Amino acid sequence: MISLSSASARRHFGPGAIEIAAGTAIILTWVVLAVAAPLFSGADPNGIDLIGLLQPPSADHFFGTDHLGRDVFSRVLHAARIDIWMGIAGVIPPLLIGATIGLISGYAGGVIDAVMMRMVDITVAFPFFVLVIAIVGMLGPGLYNYFVALALVGWVSYARLVRAEVLVLKNREFVTAAQALGYGPIVVMVRHILPNTFSSLLVFATTDAVLVLLAGASLGFLGLGVQPPTPEWGAMIADGQPYVVDAWWICFFPGLAATTLGFGFILTSDGLSRVLGR
Amino acid sequence: MITAKSKQRLLDVEKLSIAFGNVPIVKDISFGVDAGEILGVVGESGSGKSITCRSLLGLLPRAASVSGRIGFDGKNLLALSGEEMRAIRGRDISMVFQNPASHLDPLMTLGGHVMESLRHHFGQTRKEARQNAIDVLREVQINEPERRIDAYPHELSGGMKQRGMIGSATACRPRLLLADEPTTALDVTVQARILDLLGELNRTQGLSIVFVSHDLAVVAELCHRVVVMRNGEIVEEGPANEILRSPRHKYTKLLIDSQPSLLTLPPVAREEQAKTPLIEVDALSITYSKPGALPGTRKDVVRALQEANLTVEAGESLGIVGESGSGKSTVARAIMRLAEPSGGEIRFRGRNIAALKGTELSEYRRKVQMVFQNPFDSLNPRMRIIDAIAEPMIRHGLATRNEALGRARELMRQVELPLEFADRKPRQLSGGQCQRVGIARALALDPEVLIADEVTSALDVTIQAQILRLLQRLRSERHLTVIYISHDLSVVRKFCDRIAVFRAAKLVELGSAEAVFDRPKESYTKLLLQSAPRLERALERTGASDAGHGRD
Repeated sequence: MISLSSASARRHFGPGAIEIAAGTAIILTWVVLAVAAPLFSGADPNGIDLIGLLQPPSADHFFGTDHLGRDVFSRVLHAARIDIWMGIAGVIPPLLIGATIGLISGYAGGVIDAVMMRMVDITVAFPFFVLVIAIVGMLGPGLYNYFVALALVGWVSYARLVRAEVLVLKNREFVTAAQALGYGPIVVMVRHILPNTFSSLLVFATTDAVLVLLAGASLGFLGLGVQPPTPEWGAMIADGQPYVVDAWWICFFPGLAATTLGFGFILTSDGLSRVLGR
Repeated sequence: MITAKSKQRLLDVEKLSIAFGNVPIVKDISFGVDAGEILGVVGESGSGKSITCRSLLGLLPRAASVSGRIGFDGKNLLALSGEEMRAIRGRDISMVFQNPASHLDPLMTLGGHVMESLRHHFGQTRKEARQNAIDVLREVQINEPERRIDAYPHELSGGMKQRGMIGSATACRPRLLLADEPTTALDVTVQARILDLLGELNRTQGLSIVFVSHDLAVVAELCHRVVVMRNGEIVEEGPANEILRSPRHKYTKLLIDSQPSLLTLPPVAREEQAKTPLIEVDALSITYSKPGALPGTRKDVVRALQEANLTVEAGESLGIVGESGSGKSTVARAIMRLAEPSGGEIRFRGRNIAALKGTELSEYRRKVQMVFQNPFDSLNPRMRIIDAIAEPMIRHGLATRNEALGRARELMRQVELPLEFADRKPRQLSGGQCQRVGIARALALDPEVLIADEVTSALDVTIQAQILRLLQRLRSERHLTVIYISHDLSVVRKFCDRIAVFRAAKLVELGSAEAVFDRPKESYTKLLLQSAPRLERALERTGASDAGHGRD
């Protein structure tokens, strides 16, 4: 009878609604935890306590303390502020750049398309992380340089996605109809083609947010992301690495946090793709 | 009914109901098929005819709930296990689908499709199966079966693919063949040959056929008995000639009255004829090319149109007919300036349209408008209906947004669309309603010429009748010149003053509707006319064949 009740729930909310609800609930929970971090944890995330180093989880320190005696629970919550921001804001510049390039490239075709797609090929020829690390290494560590690197590297997937959609859409009858009605190319592109790529863009962007989030954390792990002592999940895992045998909690809880937030994004993306019929 | 009892019942469907969730699709229907009989199942989209057909093979989606009884050869098919059903599928009952292109595996040869069922059901060796497959292909009238057996689907024409599919369906000598719109995707001349083939298999092998179709004329040509379905119910059932000659149910009557050949359209009041033609197409050639091996070079691939000459008079309706690939849509695209001519020119009021630029071009675009084939695809899925109709007026600067919305409402009224639809999206409308939106959008710029490219071929026949009446009325009211492109000769005959017949990128015949239909000069035109199924002719013939059939 479980299948029946889930089937009736699906009929009420439509396919994908459950995934979206669960996914956004996870993301929103993290947003609330991040914004209201001081309410949940009285401890100063950067407060060093050299007497209480490497304490295991207890009633005083839910997630234990790290090698400088800082409260891991408080740091995980405060780090969420950075990591959520990284996941969401890191997606937007590449999306805007990529969608524009893909739209023009797909619609114009010919030489413009050939040139832009070769640029994409060149960018794709380097592994994503290697290129991001190289750019951040050149510009210097920090959150904003990370966004710049993402924009320079991440647009290619969006450009390819939108271009592929445009190539299909531009042969649809409603696009021919728009041309036959005498609309100019910009109107046809922006008003008639672009809105029809939004659903795949949205689905891809939510999936991409996970990648961006994890890439940010990895950069933090390598010391190229947010600089200490600002708490960030990746950097926290890096800090805990030497102690992982004796004090597993330093790495485990930031890792768990990143995983749950990523899972929230994935669920939302999966649900959206079902709702939008892709 | 006496005849039905004297013959052996092959299939007996009793109180069959099919539902998806709470939505009933097929409601408590009962019908039967005798051995050696062709049963036609007629209905419009959404009538449940295809679903019924699939249920006979146990090929319904998992979400479907089925009740009732499907008796075949003393067994209830609905009670069989998946394993038992699989043994029946392809061996005792097999199926032919609408689109041969998508139902053949592109990586398997024609012979492979036929051999597969022989090997699966009869355990034949590769060698035996191959020999038998050649015989089967010969039976379905494929020329040179020894060579074609190794051909892949993409190497074959549409008609050939459909023959191949019929071959693989009949290879195991099934007793019942289910044919779901098997000729709908094919050209009329090809359709005629496929129908002949099915009739032939029925006569020589005693194959029983359930023939599902929306086309009454096709059913009349082929079937002995007819079941008319509507909204999941059988509204009428009986011998084909009886039902088609004297239908009892009002829906059957509506279906018959909507047949284009029986349709009565109001006459059109035309203005004085002008001296010079409105549009002159002069030695127009169009070639599609693709990039060549060297960068910057292009090689010609398809000659879509060769040296076509025709004129369009103001106020007339010109019909352009032809089969797929004949170049009929290419003419329309060229007139719309959506395709570049590679030779010749098109003149509108004496001016070469290729030379138009800027405001002149924009002016020309306003005067010549187009309605497209696929009603759902020709509207932007993200735009509200009212915006789609108002947008052309706003973009061409003919009206402010508010004026445009007001005029769009007026246009909706003119094309008989309820005003409640204004805020809906295209997917919330039916095909016929979407096509009305397409017409309203084309009329928004108050054009002189309307090009209608297969506007009714995706629609049900009753809806087609409504759209044709609407177009006819608009012709009268707005003194519209219409270029009507269609593969359906009976529609063109009803609707058009003059007719141009295209074949293989060439214009083969041009003349008044009466001349082309009653005294065709070209052999191709004659072939087209012969191939097109016509209800009246079919009725004469079924009358004759029933007598010869010797039912007792």
